[in-house]
Amino acid sequence: MIEVIDLYKSFGPVKAVHGVSFTAPDGRITGLLGPNGAGKSTTLRMLYTLLKPDSGTARVDGFEVAAAPLEVQKRIGALPDARGLYPRLTARENVRYYGQLHGLNGAELEARIEGLVKMLEMGEIADRRTEGFSTGERLKVAIARALVHQPKNVLLDEPTNGLDVMSTRAMRDVIRRLRDEGQCVLFSSHIMQEVAALCDQIVIMAHGKVAASGSADELRTQTGQQNLEDAFVSVIGSEEGLER
Amino acid sequence: MLDKVRIIFQKELLDNVRDRRTLGSALFGTLLGPLILLFIIVLIGRFVSEARDDEKPLKLPVQGAEHAPSLIQFLRQQNIEILPPPEDAETLVRNGDLEVALVIAPDYGEDFSAGRPATVEIIEDSSRQTASIAVSRVTNLLQAYSRQIGALRLVARGINPQITQALEIQSRDVATPQSQVLTFLNTLPYFLMFALFSGGAGVIIDGTAGERERGSLEPLLINPVPRRDFVLGKLLAAIPFAAGTILISLIAYALIFNVVPLENFIGLRLSIDPLALLNIFIVCLPMIVLATALQMIIATFARNFKEAQTYVGFLPLAPALPGLGLAFLPVKAELWTMLIPTFGQQLLINQFMRGEPVSALNVIVSALVTLVLAVILTVIAIRLYDREQIILGR
Repeated sequence: MIEVIDLYKSFGPVKAVHGVSFTAPDGRITGLLGPNGAGKSTTLRMLYTLLKPDSGTARVDGFEVAAAPLEVQKRIGALPDARGLYPRLTARENVRYYGQLHGLNGAELEARIEGLVKMLEMGEIADRRTEGFSTGERLKVAIARALVHQPKNVLLDEPTNGLDVMSTRAMRDVIRRLRDEGQCVLFSSHIMQEVAALCDQIVIMAHGKVAASGSADELRTQTGQQNLEDAFVSVIGSEEGLER
Repeated sequence: MLDKVRIIFQKELLDNVRDRRTLGSALFGTLLGPLILLFIIVLIGRFVSEARDDEKPLKLPVQGAEHAPSLIQFLRQQNIEILPPPEDAETLVRNGDLEVALVIAPDYGEDFSAGRPATVEIIEDSSRQTASIAVSRVTNLLQAYSRQIGALRLVARGINPQITQALEIQSRDVATPQSQVLTFLNTLPYFLMFALFSGGAGVIIDGTAGERERGSLEPLLINPVPRRDFVLGKLLAAIPFAAGTILISLIAYALIFNVVPLENFIGLRLSIDPLALLNIFIVCLPMIVLATALQMIIATFARNFKEAQTYVGFLPLAPALPGLGLAFLPVKAELWTMLIPTFGQQLLINQFMRGEPVSALNVIVSALVTLVLAVILTVIAIRLYDREQIILGR
């Protein structure tokens, strides 16, 4: 479970995150929707413990990001915006490295890697060096290494960025599967359709603040709009930065 | 704690061993130094030995040869080929078309018979290094002839010519065979500093600035591993590469000096004791740690890969230039010099090469000071990795 309470983060004069609060429960898919520059990535980075909040609290499974970063890191699997691989290592070796950094090894680690290879249909590319992989193939490796330690909380930053239709559908299947297994899934996006199709719960962000939150139905009721996309636009104020 | 360091070390090692291109260019860069040295030795040696060759006749254009027949005959006997006078000797010598020319004035015969010093003029260009050997050969021969005639004149007057030689000057040369090699071997510390810093540089830059640029640093740091372990793992992984570079450099020098028949080129037997090379390698080890820590700091600070490469590329100059200075301004290996990291070691390296006795205390002090500094720098590198800027860049 992820709890964000009154989070603030500025970079010099830029107020990237300015009083953000929300909760992402287990067994649910929570979406952070907002235009670019809304503060979604910065919020996620604070949750990964890479950035320290200026004030406010963020907790993962009860552990505070500022006070117990290692405990938080053990309990999250992340697909950040920067998802570079090691070109001279094979896909399997890339995943294995992250597994080892999480304290896994031996037969158990190999079994888990094999499970992920099957689930993500990476059989053909598993033992190829990742140099020259397509965007879709890179994404599979990045997801695999994020999930190898079976984290209870999965954070994805714009997961379908640059993906073709088939890969996007595969990505959605993975996200739903994680939710069905009981994990807490939090992902950020600026694509309205994506969020509408997947999320049990939506947090709409703009200008570093939470503009509205709730389920799809709740947002339609709140804004008095017939369809979700119009609801989004009315909450944020304009269509700029959003994609249908 | 060491567990995670080992995992990171192994991955970095594997990753870099697979980087054939960088390894290849590092190897080439390392061997370049010794190869250049070999080339210079052979080239200079060949030239010098050819020029010194008294067996070959020296071509000497002479103007006014008819005024000094016995001088000319003397010169011919000394393997000088007398040539007819050229149109404009001065211009030819200045251009370098002629190395030297001789001008004998018409009143040579008159002065000579009267017992007055008879003028002969040597036309030379003193700014041409390459002609100096020919010029000195001619000058020496003319002086020898002058002395010869002088001695004969004294004998003719019933005086022993040795009266004019008040002193007999002898020289006792105490230089060891190794120190005769000084000029060449003094460049060794300079090349070694570059080898030391280039070997691990690629690994460090790739592991820091390179990772940031490829977007693999952020996901890496999300793993539950203290930043300190990342720094240590990456540092340690660079050390075998730097050590290997030094080893290859030293082996290359050993081969050049001990195997290649240099005496054929420069008439001098140069050699380096293999044990001395081993000692040099050991002395270099603390410097490897220092170099790696410094590179880590620079690579972490740099905005991108290119910047990191540029700054890290300048780094070797700091220790290398004082080392080069040692070739011209010798400094003694005293204890206080051991307190300066890299400078003390270069003095010790020179001592090992010259076959001089080396003080164990010097070696220990130098190593300790260097390692202490390396530890401090590593701590700084760890602090840098803890900062947010590591993700954000500048």
